[in-house]
Amino acid sequence: MKRSTVLTEKNRGTWATVFVGLILLPVVLSILKPLWAAEPEVFLEPADERWEACLKDPEYMRYRHMDLLKEARADVLRDGLKGGITLAGCGDCHQNRDLFCDRCHVKASVSLDCWGCHYYLTAGELEELEQHEGGGQ
Amino acid sequence: MDVQFAKIEGRSVSYWVTVGLLAAATLAGFIATLIMNNHGLYLSGMTNRVPWGLQISMAIFYIGLSAGSLVVSGLYGVFGKMEYKPFARIAAYLAMLFLIAGLLSIFTDQGRIDRVFTKPFTFVNPTSMFSINPALYSGHIMICVLYLWALFKEKGTLTKITSLVVVLWAIGTHTGTGAIFGFVPRELYNSALLPPSFVAAALSSGAALMILVIVGLSRATQRHLDDELIIWMGRRLLSIFIVVTFYVLLIENAHRAYLAYSHEAGLFFLFGGTHSFMFWVGLIFIGCVVPAVLLFIKKTGTSVPWTVFASVLVVVGVLFERFLIVIPGLIHPPELFPGWEIADAVIWEGVVNYAISPLEILQTMGVIGAIGFAFVVGLKVMPLAPTEARVLPAK
Amino acid sequence: MDRRDFLKRSGAAVAGASGVLSLPVLSSCTAEETEVASNLRGTKWGMVIDLNRCREDCTECMDACRQENNVAYHGDRRWDVHWIRKATLHPKDESAGLEEKEVLLMCNQCDNPPCAQVCPVQATYKRLDGIVVVDHHRCIGCRYCMIACPYNARFFNWKENPDWPNKGYPRRSHGVAESCHFCSHLLDGGGRPACVEACERSGARALVFGDLNDPESEVSQLVAAGGAKRIREDFGTRPKVYYLGL
Repeated sequence: MKRSTVLTEKNRGTWATVFVGLILLPVVLSILKPLWAAEPEVFLEPADERWEACLKDPEYMRYRHMDLLKEARADVLRDGLKGGITLAGCGDCHQNRDLFCDRCHVKASVSLDCWGCHYYLTAGELEELEQHEGGGQ
Repeated sequence: MDVQFAKIEGRSVSYWVTVGLLAAATLAGFIATLIMNNHGLYLSGMTNRVPWGLQISMAIFYIGLSAGSLVVSGLYGVFGKMEYKPFARIAAYLAMLFLIAGLLSIFTDQGRIDRVFTKPFTFVNPTSMFSINPALYSGHIMICVLYLWALFKEKGTLTKITSLVVVLWAIGTHTGTGAIFGFVPRELYNSALLPPSFVAAALSSGAALMILVIVGLSRATQRHLDDELIIWMGRRLLSIFIVVTFYVLLIENAHRAYLAYSHEAGLFFLFGGTHSFMFWVGLIFIGCVVPAVLLFIKKTGTSVPWTVFASVLVVVGVLFERFLIVIPGLIHPPELFPGWEIADAVIWEGVVNYAISPLEILQTMGVIGAIGFAFVVGLKVMPLAPTEARVLPAK
Repeated sequence: MDRRDFLKRSGAAVAGASGVLSLPVLSSCTAEETEVASNLRGTKWGMVIDLNRCREDCTECMDACRQENNVAYHGDRRWDVHWIRKATLHPKDESAGLEEKEVLLMCNQCDNPPCAQVCPVQATYKRLDGIVVVDHHRCIGCRYCMIACPYNARFFNWKENPDWPNKGYPRRSHGVAESCHFCSHLLDGGGRPACVEACERSGARALVFGDLNDPESEVSQLVAAGGAKRIREDFGTRPKVYYLGL
C-alpha cells in the first residue's frame, strides 16, 4: 500500500507541535489579551451612592456577582429562604438590563440564559412595552 | 496460527459513495437536532402522555447491539476459540460504536442539550438509573478502547483480562439499561424480568448483526471467509439466544396477564392495538419463531444465505422488541382509580397514540450515519478486518 | 437535610460514581461553613380536596394556578401543561349503581416521590417541608420523571410559553419538566397556594391547605376524622394530597 507523504516518521514531531500549539492557542491568547485590550468598563447604573444600600462594593460585584446569585438561588430553591437577592431586585435600581448585564456579558462573550424565564427588560424592550401600552389606551 | 489484519483499500467508487451517503445522513440528523433544540421538542411526535419515543427506543436498541458484538469478540478473548480471533477487533470496535450511538440518541433527545454535558456529572443522584448508567456507559467505552488497544498491540494477557472485564461490564451495562424501565412504577414497565430480557434480546440482536457485518464485509472486500464460522455462530450462539429471549418474553407476559393486579394492562399489551400486531408478528413470529426454526433445521441452518436471512429477521424482531419496551407502557394509562374510567378532558387520560415525526426519523438516520461513517472510515485507517478467516488457520 | 449536607452528599456521590469532575461541587461546600438556618424543617404541607364541595363547571383554581405560575397553554392537548386539572370518572361496572363524578387531579406531592428518585441531576427534589420542587436551572429535560410519575401529574415544556401573566414569577423555557409545587414561592412569603385562595374566594372552600405535622391544623383534623383517601396508596408513594368524597 502507498505510504502517506504528508505525515512521515521524520516530520511527526513537527505535526505534534503544530497540533498542541493550535490547542493551546486560545489559552495563550486569553492570557496575553490585557497587553492590547483595555479593561472592560464597568457601568453601574444609577451611578450614585445607592450601591451601599445594595449588596457589596463594585469591585466585589464585578468579579463575584455570579457567586452571590448562585448562593441566592440555592437559598430560595433549596431552603425556601425569601428576602435575599433576586434578579428582579437588581432591576429595582439598575433598570436597564442591556447596560447592567448585557454590555459586559456580550463583551466577554459569556452568554446568559436568564431572560427567557426571568422578567428583566432591556431599554429597548421597556420602550416597546410602554409604547404598546400607550397605544392600547 | 497468525491471523493477518489489513486496512481496506477504500478507493472504489462504491466506498466513496457509501462514505458520502453516511456523511449526508449525519448532517441531516445534526440539522434536525439543531432545529428541534431551538424550537422545542414539540416537533417530535412525543406528547405529555408519551414523553419518550423513537429516539429512546433506538438508543436501547443500539446499546443492546453492542452486547452481542462483545460476546463475539469474547469468544476469542474469554473462551479461547482461536478461530474467532479474526473478528475480535471488528467486534470490539463495533461494540464501542454502538454504545456511542446509544449515547448520541439519548443526548439528542434531551430538552436541554446544552446542559447534558455538565449537569449530570456535577450533580449525581445515586438513586437514579439515569445517573448510574452514564458511569456504566462511559466505563464501557473506556474499557472497549483499552481492549481494542490490547488487540491491536497483540498483548495476550491484557487481551484476556480486558475481554473478560468488558464482557462482565457489558452485562452490567445492559442490566442497567433494562432497569431504566424495569424499576419504574408503571404497569407495563415495572418488572424484575425486564433487565434479563433486555440482556437476552441484546445478545441475540448483537450476534445476528455480527453475522451480517462479517459476511457483508468479507463479500464486499472479497476476502476469504469459511462458512463453518458463520454456521457455528448461527447454530450454536444465535439460536440459543433466540430461545432464551423467547422464554423470558413468554414468562414476562404470562405473569403480567395472569395477575389480577396487571391483568388489564397485560391484555392491552397482548391484544390491544397496533403494538400487539408488532408483538405477535414482528417480534414473536419474525423475530423469534422463524429464525429459530431456520437455524435448528439442519438444511437451512447449515447454509450461509439462510443464516444471514435468519439474522436479518432477528435484528428486525429485536428492533420491534425495543419499541415495544418503550411505547406500550406509555400509551396505556395508569389506573388511578381502580374500577373507574377517566374521560378525556384537558389532557388525554385514556389510551393515546404515538406517531413518529419526520424530524425524529432524521435524527435516527443521523445517528446511524454517524456510527456507520466511523465504522467505514475506521476500516480504512485501522487494520480492523482480517485478510482471511479460516476454521483451521494455515500454519 | 440542609443544603450543606445535600451538597456534600451529591459531592460524595460524584466522587464515588465517576471519580471525575467532582471538584466544583466539593469546593462549593467548603467555601463557607456557616450554618444556613432553614425555616422549612418541621412542617409538612398537605392538602385536602373535598370533592363534595367542588362545584361543577367551576375553573377558579385552575385559572388562578395558570395566572400565578405562568403555566403554558397552547390550546393543544399534546403540549398543554396542567398543574391542576379536572377529570370525569365513569364507573366501569354500572350495575353497582355508581354515578359518574368529577375529580381534581394534581401533583400528589408524594412523601416518597418517584420523580425525585429518578431525576439524574437532582433537579426534582423534596424540600424539608415535604414539597416536591423542580430546579429549572438544572433540569436537562430527560423526562424520566414523567415516566416515573404514576399519577400523570408531571408535564414537559414542549414549546416556548407564549404568555407571561405573572411577571413576578419566572416562566419556564422549552425543554424542562415541571409540576405543581404548592406555590412554594407564596408559602415562603407567608401566603397560601393560589388555587386554595381562589377556591376560598369563590366560596366553595373545597381545597383545604395546611401543615400535616400540626395536629391543630384543619387538614390534620380532616385527615384524622377519617374518610380521607389518597390516590393509589398501594403504590407506596404516600401522597400528601387527600380526597374527601372520592
